[in-house]
Amino acid sequence: MSRLAQRSGPPAARREGEEDDVCPVCKSSRYLNPNMRFLVNPECYHRIKNKFRKQTFEDIQVEREVDIRRRVAEVFNRREDDFNSLLDYNNYLNDVEDITYNLINKIDLDESERKLASYASRNQQTISLNVQKSLQESQNREARQVLEKEQARIRREAARREEQEEKRDREEGRRDVINMLASSDGDASRIAREGQQAVLKRSKTRQAAIQKQQQALSSDSSNGAPNGGFFIQGLKTKVEPVDEGPYDPFQGFSDKRKYFVQQNRYAWDRLDRLQKDTNWTAGGYDFREFCSRTLCEAFSGLGVFIGEEVTRTDPAFVGSVATVAAAEAGAGSKDIMMEDPF
Amino acid sequence: MKFNIEDLPVLFPYPRIYPEQYAYMCDLKRTLDAGGHCVLEMPSGTGKTVSLLSLIVAYQQYYPEHRKLIYCSRTMSEIEKALAELRGLMKYRAEQLGYEEDFRGLGLTSRKNLCLHPSVKREKSGSVVDARCRSLTAGFVKEKKERGEDVDLCIYHENLDLLEPHNLIPAGVWTLDGMLQYGEQQKQCPYFTARRMMPFCNVIIYSYHYLLDPKIAERVSKELSKDCIVVFDEAHNIDNVCIESLSIDLTEDALRKATNGATKLDRKIMEMKSTDAAKLQNEYAKLVEGLREADEARDDGAFMANPALPDDLLKEAVPGNIRRAEHFIAFLKRFVEYLKTRMKVLHVISETPPSFLQHLKELTFIEKKPLRFCAERLTSLVRTLELSNIEDYQSLQEVASFATLVATYDTGFLLILEPYESESATVSNPVLHLTCLDAAIAIKPVFDRFSSVIITSGTISPLEMYPKMLGFTTVVQESYSMTLARRSFLPMIVTRGSDQGDISSGFQIRNDPGVVRNYGNLLTEFAKLTPDGIVVFFPSYLYMESIISYWQGMGILDQVWKYKLILVETPDSQETSLALETYRTACSNGRGAVLLCVARGKVSEGIDFDHHYGRTVICIGVPFQYTESRILKARLEFLRETYRIKENDFLSFDAMRHAAQCLGRVLRGKDDYGIMVLADRRFQKKRGQLPKWINQALLDSDTNLSVDQATATARKFLKTMSLPFPARFQEGISTWSAEDLAKHKAKLEEEKIRELQHGSGDRHVHGQDVIREAEGEFDEEGIDDAMMELDA
Ligand code: SF4
Ligand SMILES: [Zn+2]
Repeated sequence: MSRLAQRSGPPAARREGEEDDVCPVCKSSRYLNPNMRFLVNPECYHRIKNKFRKQTFEDIQVEREVDIRRRVAEVFNRREDDFNSLLDYNNYLNDVEDITYNLINKIDLDESERKLASYASRNQQTISLNVQKSLQESQNREARQVLEKEQARIRREAARREEQEEKRDREEGRRDVINMLASSDGDASRIAREGQQAVLKRSKTRQAAIQKQQQALSSDSSNGAPNGGFFIQGLKTKVEPVDEGPYDPFQGFSDKRKYFVQQNRYAWDRLDRLQKDTNWTAGGYDFREFCSRTLCEAFSGLGVFIGEEVTRTDPAFVGSVATVAAAEAGAGSKDIMMEDPF
Repeated sequence: MKFNIEDLPVLFPYPRIYPEQYAYMCDLKRTLDAGGHCVLEMPSGTGKTVSLLSLIVAYQQYYPEHRKLIYCSRTMSEIEKALAELRGLMKYRAEQLGYEEDFRGLGLTSRKNLCLHPSVKREKSGSVVDARCRSLTAGFVKEKKERGEDVDLCIYHENLDLLEPHNLIPAGVWTLDGMLQYGEQQKQCPYFTARRMMPFCNVIIYSYHYLLDPKIAERVSKELSKDCIVVFDEAHNIDNVCIESLSIDLTEDALRKATNGATKLDRKIMEMKSTDAAKLQNEYAKLVEGLREADEARDDGAFMANPALPDDLLKEAVPGNIRRAEHFIAFLKRFVEYLKTRMKVLHVISETPPSFLQHLKELTFIEKKPLRFCAERLTSLVRTLELSNIEDYQSLQEVASFATLVATYDTGFLLILEPYESESATVSNPVLHLTCLDAAIAIKPVFDRFSSVIITSGTISPLEMYPKMLGFTTVVQESYSMTLARRSFLPMIVTRGSDQGDISSGFQIRNDPGVVRNYGNLLTEFAKLTPDGIVVFFPSYLYMESIISYWQGMGILDQVWKYKLILVETPDSQETSLALETYRTACSNGRGAVLLCVARGKVSEGIDFDHHYGRTVICIGVPFQYTESRILKARLEFLRETYRIKENDFLSFDAMRHAAQCLGRVLRGKDDYGIMVLADRRFQKKRGQLPKWINQALLDSDTNLSVDQATATARKFLKTMSLPFPARFQEGISTWSAEDLAKHKAKLEEEKIRELQHGSGDRHVHGQDVIREAEGEFDEEGIDDAMMELDA
């Protein structure tokens, strides 16, 4: 009974004696339930009622237990922060487990079902609220995982690039030395030494650049704006009382434009004409408003760098990126070139 | 001899001392004074252990803090050696001081080695010995006995209760052998004697696991105070020990046994419910409070300890849904069933603990928190049920440890499921590895708790790798060169055959007949010229086997056979020890022998080939790890991401530390001599990663030799070695008497004063100054004079 396969094709016409089909597991038969579908086990060819679900566990008892647990978990979904103390929460867990245990082992079945149902009806709101919360949590987790994977990929690529560049430098250096040796009649060992130093210098510069890049990456991420609905939980924002200074009705907001200065007058005939036209000015329409709006629209895309915004990352999970990366290496999804490190 | 290091009087149990020993002691003292950690590399065969012990014993006896020494070594024989050294030292001290100091030094190894119980000690497996012993010694068993029930106790354990708890064995230093003898005489258990006497010891010598394996460390080492001095000797592999101690492999068989264990526990719970429900109720009440409360009865007989559970968790109450015994068993069963379904997958899976936990929760509604408590909860249950056949629950215990680890560490761990043993296997035999990637995790509690941790070995280069991998900082980090009155070992790098073809075990050419033949010639030539024993190391068993069969076909083995007996190491340790014995006999009776072995095998770690047992060591190829291993790949990735250690850097470091270990096998003292051949062209570039003392002895002209050049150099070397070299030529150069030492110290002090006047340096003596000064001496009245005198 370990593997279930659906019988091919819909049951077009009933076979003879199909009414006699009885499920060996639950004993229900097609006579009572004509819409029942059977699955065939390709190993022993017992026909079993189709439950529309594959069996996960070897032990059918556990399979059943898990179904019951699913039902209970959908109702009793209180969270630790719903409680005043850990002891309260633990006692709650204990009670829930008692009910579950009874349901599974068919002890006081009615009583337990009643408890479950009454709790469900009395706490509908909390239940759906907590469903929301855990949904949110799992979304966050997923977003986080995606980001971690991406980070690991970027870092690995960087490392590989670095390695390749190093190799290329070394080769170039060697070529340079050979060329120099071929074209000059200077001291061979001196040339070789100089060549080596040049390679060393190049690799040092590159390393410095990489370090800078990495620093930039990590400082970038420290104030990274969340994207894709991702946020860190449980961070209490610490507010220190600051000297408020003089009252500022705009709270530091300035209407100074960064990219242009508006002139009082723009030489444009049509504008000049309309400005003098009372049909336009009678209502108090100010043409400077018009200019300001137009300019604003014209410049509004500047200063936004999409590239910067998409690569932002969060520092909280940089540590776990390593483990994620290791997981990929372990799966062998890509190979590290390490046949011969020389 | 007797001397001072700064204010500290040191008694050294030999009439002469090597300059590097003195330097080593100076640096040790500096570390202890500063109260920090250090990494020290001391050439092999220069008396590292005795220097360590002399200094630290002097330190603890002289200063009022009397800091305890915890000395960790790897093998039973190393522990025994260290105990013997300590014994000698204390005897010498008593002679010099004119009285016996009040001093205790004990060694501790596993029950398997120390058990005296007539039937238990005959068990083959260590874990069975542990389990059976626990069944005979647990507190509740004794209670049952007192109630008049018919249970077995171990008389060796019982007798201990008749003695004064702080004086189970007379003061002094006890070797393991001595303990066994004393235990047999007095009918008392040596294992528990040592365990219980640990708080009263000045020096404890035991294996790494008692500090690094959290499952054991919690039990055995938790009472040791913060100011203990911790030494890890032969520590070049410490990162692997750390990782192994936190990694768990589960097989289908283990899961089956775990299920059986759970079912059995279930039955026991039912039984107890009908006979003694109060006990379960009592446990329940305690668990409501927290694990620590439930655990006040933690004793020697306890089932197991938890792996690395954070302390605050232990103080927390057990989650409500696993408080009741029957709930907990259902929980465990569900978890085991889940693991079984994971084993059904037929492709490799590699995932992080959070992803594992998420999937687990979706399928079984098992949450992270109760999972973390698994190991402790099981311990408590086993104790409550007063179970006697603990070995029945070992697999279940493994699963519980697995649960606790996977739920405790989000990072630094990885789950890898390998359905097949090898690429070519057709029948699946799945293994679920929970592998630790981060060596720093297991050793962190040690660095956190103890103020001075000393990491030392004969080969621990590059020194800076270890602080990086293990996550600590050092106050002293030093590698000593070897002071020699004559060049007594000859390292060489052979890169080419006599036909000028490159030789290497690199993937592309390793099976090239030309390369194989050149390796064969190398061996033949050295078999001709080397007196007595030759040890040859290959990177792996697989490679060794293939080369041997090639050599067989090429007639090379027949050639070698003319000069030496040929013996081969195998993965079977019994076979290997037989081969070793034969090898030694052949070396001693003049026939001479070649031992072919593997750089990561048993021989390369811990078996010494001193004097005629090893005159030449040949490393055929660079001993890289098998890089296709998924676990290794994952670790490399982790090292790069976390510690910025590049993959190739690590692989090359790891290969070279094994190569250095192999080379060190043949040189076990200053009066010893030997040839070290590194046979692979790639060694040329790896030279800088050799320990300083080997690298310094390697002449530039010897780093790119062909087989015939190497042969000629080796002949010349052996010729000088055959000249008589009376010990007096070493005096004052590579060994110092008390007067020599005084002279050198005076010189050093002068320099120190000069330095201080110039505003540089500190008041401490640095090991490096000692060596520099000693080597200066060497130049002045060095080998030429000595040789001239000889010729005359
Ligand atoms: S108490 Fe000692 S002698 Fe007795 S079984 Fe245990 S280890 Fe062996
Ligand atoms: Zn059915």
